[in-house]
Amino acid sequence: MLQYLVRRLALMVPVAFLVSVAVFSLIHLTPVDPAELILGEERSPEAVIALRHELGLDRPLPDQYVTWISHALRGDLGRSIRTNQPVTKAILERLPATLELGTAALAWSVLLAIPLGTIAALRRGSPIDVLATGFTIAGVSVPNFFIGILLILVLSVDLRLFPPGGYTPLTESIPDNLHRLVLPAITLGTVTTAINTRFTRSSMLEVLRQDYIRTARAKGASWRQVIVGHALKNALIPVVTVVGIQVGAILEGALVTETIFSWPGVGKLAIDSIFGRDYPIIQGIVLMIAFSFMLANLAVDLAYAWLDPRISYA
Amino acid sequence: MKRPALALILGAFLLSAACSTGGGTTSVAGTPKVGGTLKIALESELRTLDPLKSSQRVERQVYYNMYDSLVTIDASLKIKPGLATSWQYTDPTTLQFTLHKGVKFHDGTDFNADAVKFNIDRILSAASSPRKSELASVKSVEVKDSSTVVFHLKKPDAALLAQLVDRAGMILSPAAIVKGGADFALNPIGAGTGPFTFVEWKRDDHLTLKKNPNYWVPGRPYLDQLIYRPITDSNAALAALRTGDIDIAGTNAIADKDIASVKSDASLVYKDTPGLSFEGFEVNSGSGIFADKAKRQAVALALDRAQILKNVFFDLHTLSRGPIPPTSWAFDPSERIYTTADVSKAKSMATGFAFNLKTPNTPGSIQEATLIKDQLSKAGITATIQVEEFGQILTEASSHKFDAALVGWSGRIDPDGNMFGWFHTGGGFNDGQYSNPQVDTLLEQARVASDQATRKPLYDRAQQILVEDVAYVFIGHGPAQEIASAKVHNFSLIADSIDRFAEVWKG
Repeated sequence: MLQYLVRRLALMVPVAFLVSVAVFSLIHLTPVDPAELILGEERSPEAVIALRHELGLDRPLPDQYVTWISHALRGDLGRSIRTNQPVTKAILERLPATLELGTAALAWSVLLAIPLGTIAALRRGSPIDVLATGFTIAGVSVPNFFIGILLILVLSVDLRLFPPGGYTPLTESIPDNLHRLVLPAITLGTVTTAINTRFTRSSMLEVLRQDYIRTARAKGASWRQVIVGHALKNALIPVVTVVGIQVGAILEGALVTETIFSWPGVGKLAIDSIFGRDYPIIQGIVLMIAFSFMLANLAVDLAYAWLDPRISYA
Repeated sequence: MKRPALALILGAFLLSAACSTGGGTTSVAGTPKVGGTLKIALESELRTLDPLKSSQRVERQVYYNMYDSLVTIDASLKIKPGLATSWQYTDPTTLQFTLHKGVKFHDGTDFNADAVKFNIDRILSAASSPRKSELASVKSVEVKDSSTVVFHLKKPDAALLAQLVDRAGMILSPAAIVKGGADFALNPIGAGTGPFTFVEWKRDDHLTLKKNPNYWVPGRPYLDQLIYRPITDSNAALAALRTGDIDIAGTNAIADKDIASVKSDASLVYKDTPGLSFEGFEVNSGSGIFADKAKRQAVALALDRAQILKNVFFDLHTLSRGPIPPTSWAFDPSERIYTTADVSKAKSMATGFAFNLKTPNTPGSIQEATLIKDQLSKAGITATIQVEEFGQILTEASSHKFDAALVGWSGRIDPDGNMFGWFHTGGGFNDGQYSNPQVDTLLEQARVASDQATRKPLYDRAQQILVEDVAYVFIGHGPAQEIASAKVHNFSLIADSIDRFAEVWKG
């Protein structure tokens, strides 16, 4: 087990390296000069040349990459070329907001989807099943920016139940923080809730047809034991896989959701940095996302072993 | 099934919106109330708090409330004393300022002639700063005594004072700049002399300024605190304004399409005045299809500007006849060509040609380009819309790899700022490589002339030639706007579209 863990963790380093090379090459392929972008409409040719030199953008690309990677290996991801803020600091100061939003979105999607999917499977064809299926179709097909704007219009502007955006740190006021969290978390979590509900339902339907469920029932096990102890635990394996992948989807959705709700997180930073060609920040965020993906997948693999005793990494 | 449900929700929303417009009063004059927090929406996040490095209009919204400039302007764009109480040209290349005495920076250090010299020298030695070209005429700065400072110029520059109204003339505490080091632009503690002092900047969330109790203008400001929030989504900004989450939105923070609903809401105030910008599209008169003047003229003649202003800008922008907006003293009101569309005349100039129109990937720009394409097709001109990221358009435009590009200009107080860089041969922003010796001479003469009366006819003539030559296809001038809650009082709207809050109070 320990050996397996070490091997998986060690594998992350070459993957992260390949990701960084790919991202570096891709962002430099686009014909946009960050120096021109920074100076915007005030981009006189002399200022552009001077700024390009100041930022080191006039050096050959491989040279720029080697400098970046050698600093990165020492834990220094450089400074933003737009704001001169250290990359690590820029990401870290926005990470709590994104973690909170992502956790809330993932939590409500799991807490709602698993019971809803299970009930829909157990009461197949009933009104609640129709409702759940309808919700899953709507949830995956409506883009989250639309859900966000609709929530703002109805629940915020019209009914004045929630603020339309903005963020209050947990350390400042817990009730205000939670109040502002509700709408963006719903917006961000809707797609994943829909997907998880669907997966739980279909996986549950399949498990319920298995012989061992009939056997458990025949043994006289209680309804609760059969559903929770036998059916659900086995039905959750594909759901866990999906939830693992969703860590990435959540980060991706955060780009849009954070922009709509003026949520000061990594997603908004990513959007601004991509449009501003802030290479050091983009590199830093992509590395962070790559690592969180890999860690989430590792957690999924470990969860398999817990859910299914036949799987072992020893 | 989905459509009726959506219609129902929207219907319910519209109904309740209509019902909620009953109360509210418009802004009334009264006794100013001291105290309170004003919450302001910005169209986007700032990049830097150091005027030296600033290149975004939105940054100026914050700067003007914490930094003071040597000179300032009134609503008629006339230059007024700021940190300098008076100034005079002792000869055409020597400009002497007398400074306010007893003014202190927020960090407690003294504002004086040494501070002015420090700031101007800092600009002159920063090659990558957009400020450097604004002060290109300045050779050196001399400290005469603690409250007298002299600018020695390389050549006369009539636009210099207007440049000193803006970021180039903002005087920051030298001690604070040195102390701030590499992070100064992110955390300029104690750097200004303005009505509000910097407290904190939580990027992408909020920026807080608090009242400067020792402000050198007695009794100002009225407000205790300003909280700026960047809200890039216009719908979200409007929602925040309606719910009282913000009190005022700066120019551009609310999209033109949403202004009608601001106007119809009695709890909100909408005012505007023509701004200093110009918008339309750059044409590459140096190479390619538009090197032929007749083709540029055909395009300018075939365009129905009024229709574009109505359909794309909701009649909020002013029809443009040239680089100078009607607010400026240099505006030439004489009747000019291309004001109304004339398809048959356009065809007689040139027809049956095609060009690429580079269009930023925003809904408004794409809509504008589509309408332009449609209008030009009536004159047998084919515009191919090339939608690109704005940054890519900037890069291609400055290397002159384009036929036409929808790129505008935010505008400057002095007419020189709307013309010299754009239309002088080899000018810093002259992407279209426009070159006309007559225009060069007029712009140069207007730059060195000492008074408005001499400069006015020169600019009139230059504008006539630029329009006749179609150095740029002018369509409109954007407005400066006040979009605020009715609780916000005493806000004065100036064409430079900067929100100044020293005089504002909240009832």
